[in-house]
Parts: sequence; C-alpha cells; structure tokens
Amino acid sequence: MPNDHARPGLSRRSLIAGALGLTAAAGGGVLSACSGSSNANSAAPGSGAAAPSVTLGPKLTTVQYPDGYVGPIARQLKPITSEKVTFKIVVKQDVTIGDWKTNAFTKWLEQKTGVHIEWMQVGGTDDDVMTKVNAMIAAGDIPDAFLGIAFTRSQLFLYGQQGLFTDVGQYIDGYALNLQQAMKDYPDTRKLIQAPDKKIYSFPGINDCYHCRASDGRAWLNTEWIKQVGLAMPQTTDEFQEVLRAFKKADLAGNGKTIPFAGYKDSAIDPFFMNPFLYNPGEPWLVIRDGKVDVAFDKDEWREGLKFVNSLYKDGLINRDVFTADEDQLKRYGNASGKPLIGGARTNYWGVFLDIDQKDPQARWRQYEACPPLKGPNGVQYAAWDYTGVGVEVAHLVITKKCAKPEQLVQWADAQYELEAILRGYGGPAFSWAKKGELGINGKQAVYGFDATWNSQKNINWSQDNPMYRSQDFRLSERVNPKDMTFEKPLYEQTRDKYFPHKQPPEMQFPPVTLDQDQAAQEAELRTNLKGEVNQSFAKFLTGQLDPNDDGAWNDYKGRVEKIGVKPYLELQQAAYETYNG
Amino acid sequence: MSAGTTLAPDEQRLGAGAPIQDTKSDKIALACIYTALGLFCLAVLYPIVYVLSASVSNTKLVSAGEVWLWPVGFTLDAYKAIFDYKSIVTGFGNSVFYAVVGAVVATVLTLLAAYPLSRKGLPGKGIIMAAFVFTMMFSGGLIPTYLVVHELGLLNTRWAMILPTALAVWNVIITRTYFMVTIPEELVEAGKVDGCSDFGFFWRVVLPLSKPIIAVNLLFYAVGSWNSFFNALIYLTNEHLFPLQVILRQILLQTKVDPSQMADTSKLAQMQELQQQLKYSLIVIGMIPPLLVYPFVQKHFVKGAMIGSLKG
Repeated sequence: MPNDHARPGLSRRSLIAGALGLTAAAGGGVLSACSGSSNANSAAPGSGAAAPSVTLGPKLTTVQYPDGYVGPIARQLKPITSEKVTFKIVVKQDVTIGDWKTNAFTKWLEQKTGVHIEWMQVGGTDDDVMTKVNAMIAAGDIPDAFLGIAFTRSQLFLYGQQGLFTDVGQYIDGYALNLQQAMKDYPDTRKLIQAPDKKIYSFPGINDCYHCRASDGRAWLNTEWIKQVGLAMPQTTDEFQEVLRAFKKADLAGNGKTIPFAGYKDSAIDPFFMNPFLYNPGEPWLVIRDGKVDVAFDKDEWREGLKFVNSLYKDGLINRDVFTADEDQLKRYGNASGKPLIGGARTNYWGVFLDIDQKDPQARWRQYEACPPLKGPNGVQYAAWDYTGVGVEVAHLVITKKCAKPEQLVQWADAQYELEAILRGYGGPAFSWAKKGELGINGKQAVYGFDATWNSQKNINWSQDNPMYRSQDFRLSERVNPKDMTFEKPLYEQTRDKYFPHKQPPEMQFPPVTLDQDQAAQEAELRTNLKGEVNQSFAKFLTGQLDPNDDGAWNDYKGRVEKIGVKPYLELQQAAYETYNG
Repeated sequence: MSAGTTLAPDEQRLGAGAPIQDTKSDKIALACIYTALGLFCLAVLYPIVYVLSASVSNTKLVSAGEVWLWPVGFTLDAYKAIFDYKSIVTGFGNSVFYAVVGAVVATVLTLLAAYPLSRKGLPGKGIIMAAFVFTMMFSGGLIPTYLVVHELGLLNTRWAMILPTALAVWNVIITRTYFMVTIPEELVEAGKVDGCSDFGFFWRVVLPLSKPIIAVNLLFYAVGSWNSFFNALIYLTNEHLFPLQVILRQILLQTKVDPSQMADTSKLAQMQELQQQLKYSLIVIGMIPPLLVYPFVQKHFVKGAMIGSLKG
C-alpha cells in the first residue's frame, strides 16, 4: 500500500528497539517522534473545548418514555461535517458483523454523520487481535482509532502516558453531549474510566446489565424435581444438601444417571458455594475489609466452605467431571432426550446447560429456576453482586495521536450514545418504537421493541463492539412480545427477587483498578501463580484428594499461597486501590 | 513397516524351505502390529467419522449427546448455514488460492535453491547452506519481520500470505538430498559433454526425474499453507483477503472465552448458537481439501520423502 503512513526513519528506530525485544519502548520511541507533529492538532481543539461548539439535535417526539426514565434519548442526529472526511479504524473481524464496509449500521451511521470510515479488520480470537495490535503499535503503523479492541485499563494508561492514545476527556465537555448526559446519569462512570493521571483514554461502553451483576454466583435448580421429591426451594446449605440428596435417592433421571448438581470447567463454582460462609466475588478473590484489600481464599470461613463442597462431592451430589466437563458435555446432560440428567447447575444462565427454546412455553429450560444464595450455618448469606465490573467497560473506542481531527471522531463516537444509534448498533434496523400502553420487561411503559430476533441475523449491527449507553431503564424498557418470550425477563425477575436482596455492601467489592507498567507485570505473574494454586487446591479439597477436615492439609495450603506471595500481591493491589479512590 | 523388514532376516536364519510358515513369535509380533496399527487407525478415523456424522445431524440431537457414530436426524442445514456467512465462503476461496499459488511459488523457489546446493562445484556452498540453516534456528522475531513486510508494501495484500516464509529450509534440505542421491555428478558431466548448459540440464534432465520430490514439496507447502493462520492475522486487515482458518479460529475458539467475562448474556447466546450450528460443518469444510489431495500424491510421497530424508 503506497499511501500507507510509511516513515522510514521512524520505523528504523523501532526496528532496532524491536529487535532488542523492547516492544513497549519501541512504541514510546515512535510516539515521541510522532507527537511533535500532532501537538499542533491537539492544541486547537483543546481551546475549542472551552467554548462548546456543538449542540444536540431535537428530541424525537414519537418516542414514549416511562415516568422517571433514566437513559439514552432519541434525537435527530446532525451531520458532523460537510466536507468528506475519512478515518482509519481498526476493528475485530466477526462473522456476525460480516463485512464492516457493507454492514447496515455502518451505512446508517455514515449517512447520518457524514463521516466515512476506512476499516482495518483484524481476524482471530481476542488474543490474536491483541498480538496484531501490539505489532502495529510497535511498528508505528497506527490507525486513527481502535474500535472494540479489548485494551485493559493498564494498557490504556501505559499507551496514554506515552502519548499514543488521545485524552478524550478534554473533548467530552465540548463535543460529547450524549456521553456527558450518560456520565451524569451514572455518576461513577468518570471514576471507572479515568486513568490514575485523571485522563480518559477511551470511550466507554455503558451497558447496565442488571442480571449480569449476579451471574458469577448464580445457580439453577429444577423446580419440577423439587416438587417430585416433595421439598421446597432450598434456602440454607443444609436444605440444599437435603434437596440434592433427595434428587439422587429418587433417581429422577432414571438408570442411576441422575446428576443432582453440575458444574463445568469454564465457570468457577466457588462464588456460589463460598458465599454462605464469607463474601467471595470469585477470582481473583479480592475483597475490601475495613478499607484494606484482602483475599478470601485463606480464611477459616473458606475452609468451612471447602468442607461443605467436599461433603457434597463425597455423597455423589456433584458431577465427577465438574472441573473437566466442557460446555458441550454439560449440554449433553441437560439436553438428554427423554429426561434431563441434571437437577441443578452452576452456570451464568440456562443456555449453558441446555438449549433455550423461547417460543415453547413448556420448554425444558423453564423448569429450572434460580437457586437463591444459600444461608450458611453462621447465618452468612451473600450474593456476590458486581457493582463496578459490569456496567461500564473501557476501550470501546480509542482515538490515537495519528488522528488529525479528534474532535470529529469524538462527535462520531458521541452519536453512538444516542438512542436510535444504540438500537441499531447492537440490535439492527428491525426495531420499532413502542406505542403508548405497551409494556416493557419491568412492567412499565416500553420504549422500543424488536420485531425479529436480532441475534440470528448477520451484517446488520456492530455486535456491541462500539461505544453505547444502555442504562438499566433502557434495557428494561424493551417491549415484551408475548409470542416470543425472551429469557431476559425471567432472568431479570429471578435475579431481582433472589439475588439482589442479598447483595454484599458495595464497599466490600474490590473495584477495577489501573496498574502502571511495572505493577502490571508483577501483578500478572503473582495472579497467575495464585490462581493456579487456589484453583488446584479448591479442586483437591472438593474431590477429597486433600481433606479439608485435616488441619495439616489446610495449613500446608495456607503456607503455599503465602509463599507464592499473597502479601506483595495485596500491597500492590492496596496501592492501586488507593490511587483509584484518589 | 520397519518391524516387518526386521522380521525377514530372522525367517531366513531359521533355514526353513521356500514358503515359510510363520513361527509362533512371528504370529504374536504380527498380531501386535495389526492391533497397534488398527488402534491407531481407529484413533484417527473415529474423530473424522464423528465430525462428519455430527455435521449432517440435527444440532439439537448432537447437543443432547445422541450422536456418537452415525448421523441422527439427517439434515444439511449446517452446510446451508455456511452460505449465509459470506466471509466463510470467500475465506474458503482465499485458502484455496493461497494454498495453490503459495505451493507453486514455494516449490519453484525450493527447487531453484536445492539443485545448485546439491552440486559439488557451487562456490560458497557451505556459506549459503549455513545461512539457510541459521534461519531454522534463529528468527528475526515478530516485530522486525512485521516492519520488513510493512516497508516492502506487502501489508494487507495477497502477497503477504505467499512471499514471507515462502521457503521452508527443511524442504530445501530434503530436496537437495534427493538431487544428490538420484542425479549423480556423472550425469551432469555427460550432459556437459553433449553441450548442455546448466539451465538446460536442470530443465530437460533434472525436472523430469524429480516428479516425486516435486509432488512432496507441493503437498507439504499446500497443506502447510492451508493450515496456517498466523501470517493472515498479522499481515491482513481486509476481510476479503482472510483465509478460512482465521474465520474458523474466530468461530470455534472465540466462544471458548470465560462466560463470566461476557458482558451480555444475549451476546453469549448468539455466539453459542452460531458455534453449535457451524462447528462441525466448518471442520469438515476445512478438512476436505487436504483429504482429497492426499490419495493422488500418496505414491510419490513415500518415494520422495524417503529418499530425501533417509540419507541426509
């Protein structure tokens, strides 16, 4: 490509650095050479930010909102520019998005905003994408922006400090009025998206998915089976064990094939089983105790939890392949023809252990209901509720220093926080505004609905890669179609009724912190080692390879995690936590 | 196979007459060989049969664990679904293109490199060979290579899939050995006496005698190119140029992510549905071309690879 931004001098520098293995340094080198040219660019809009130069379009009057609605508002989108502008943006290739160039949302957005995008699509898995993006950055082959590339907070901070990524915070007041409104609706947003230097290096995807906040600790039990054994939905650990025992005894699947409770390797089971004993958010098991960062996995209460799961496993109440079964295997249990083999499962939602048929009111998945967080022998009963990890995601759009007119790209990003753009962006063109009197998932006036199941079509949306603002009210104001009951409604209701009342206080949760480069490297190593040890030992204690009732085994385990470095790990996280709290 | 040849001298040493009765130990050895090979054959065949069956079975029954050998609820829906995704179809076409063109380019380069290196008279032969072998052990690394491709203007072109890493040194060595063994220096001298130039000799004598090694090279390179995805990941940013493997990877591996990291359940549901539907048919599509080619190259394959590698 002859018109590529080829800079021989620059690339040679990074080549040398790259050969020495200094990838990050090479990025820095490239940038220091680059920033000279782009400083001029950033100065002008910086001053423009002081005096807002854009206004929002008028609201669409046809759209109904329920009382007290907090969320995105439908407005007319105004063209951002009259002359033709083109930006180069790196995105992920995704078969459901299809060709970004011909995608329906791409065309719609270009028509509305007048901004043309030249897409650079990177293929493969998320890890593959990061490899490619790092190579591009190190080689100085940098686009105007990255969309939907999963940079971590620490990466954003690192590249932001090197001057590679633009601080979009300076443009929000002047050019991103929709986002500004969203940040007012969700006051924590700023704290969650800013780096330790108080700058904002990416546009967030705000997606207040209510049921996602409880998904790590959610489990399901078959209500038909519970009826058949003449018991009630368990509330305590003892009742839970009793129900599973009854399942096994009654052998409801027949031929001794009954699996009272199942888990699989891709969803940890400890968040469900430990919370009757102590608050446990799951990996990396960090909690805040009296303002101090602490871990859950070396406490005596954790050991009580181990004894509990060990006794379940010993009685044959948990599937033997709980740590090795994959999703296909789990589905074979759940979908087994005739009768399901499993009485309960620890999964995010039904679709992991059986097929969801939304049209059939008698479908098997409807037999399974959320099992409430259990109350332990000492009265502890938490639902691990994710206040900060779900809802605001960083890095949905990152603007680089290469971008000559960042303020235009900022407006382009902001257009995607508008209601119609959101619907088209994640759903597609098949939406319609709700009429007065039509009800949404939460039983209030609906705002919109989809007439076709959007997730089976291709090439119509951006599959949630882009900036978006889906508040809780927005999500719950989707019109309920009686003919096609989505699983969203029961998932919402059961989460609301069973998990929300038992959520831990917000100040106990460890928030998503940002680490600097050195910390990040050290943290990654410690976390990997701790994760390996804790997960392995959890499995051994559960299966009885190690006996949780044996003081020696427990103390050995505590010694092992201590040796790996719980202390330095906590010191590191404590420092990052204090920075986060500012 | 090697076990079979070692048996032969034993039989002779026993000194029996012409048609030899298998001794007891022979029978045991043979039985062991057949069992081992049979098991091995099963281990290879079963997954293929399973995937084939699953790809033409009802997805629901597959996920209910009904399919274990033969198709249940025969349907071609999964193959029809493939055509809904343009990127899969173009990916297949691209993969065929890269495999064919890549194999031809690479084989030409290999022959041109290997033949001179097989002759005694080439000046600096040791240095050239050492340089080749050096690259087998040390590589420039990802970023310098990326920079080279970038500066050559190959990024995001089809050439990026063909030229970098076109030549495999291992193949050069096999081919060189093949030439050394099958084309003696005397033949070259005879050609020279009759006034044949080096190029003329290569074209008229060497190539016609080298069909097996050419076939082996073509096959190696084509299969290698068919299975590779990394160059595409790193060098291509245009979906229309992506080979099938990149798309396969995205569909089959992307859904393996930790579901707790999935921000949205509906997105997870979408990925699961897609994967369930396409998984097996995609694997079949990815597996068929090499399977089709192997039988035709088979007879050359044994000959070429054996001569090339044994006396290296």
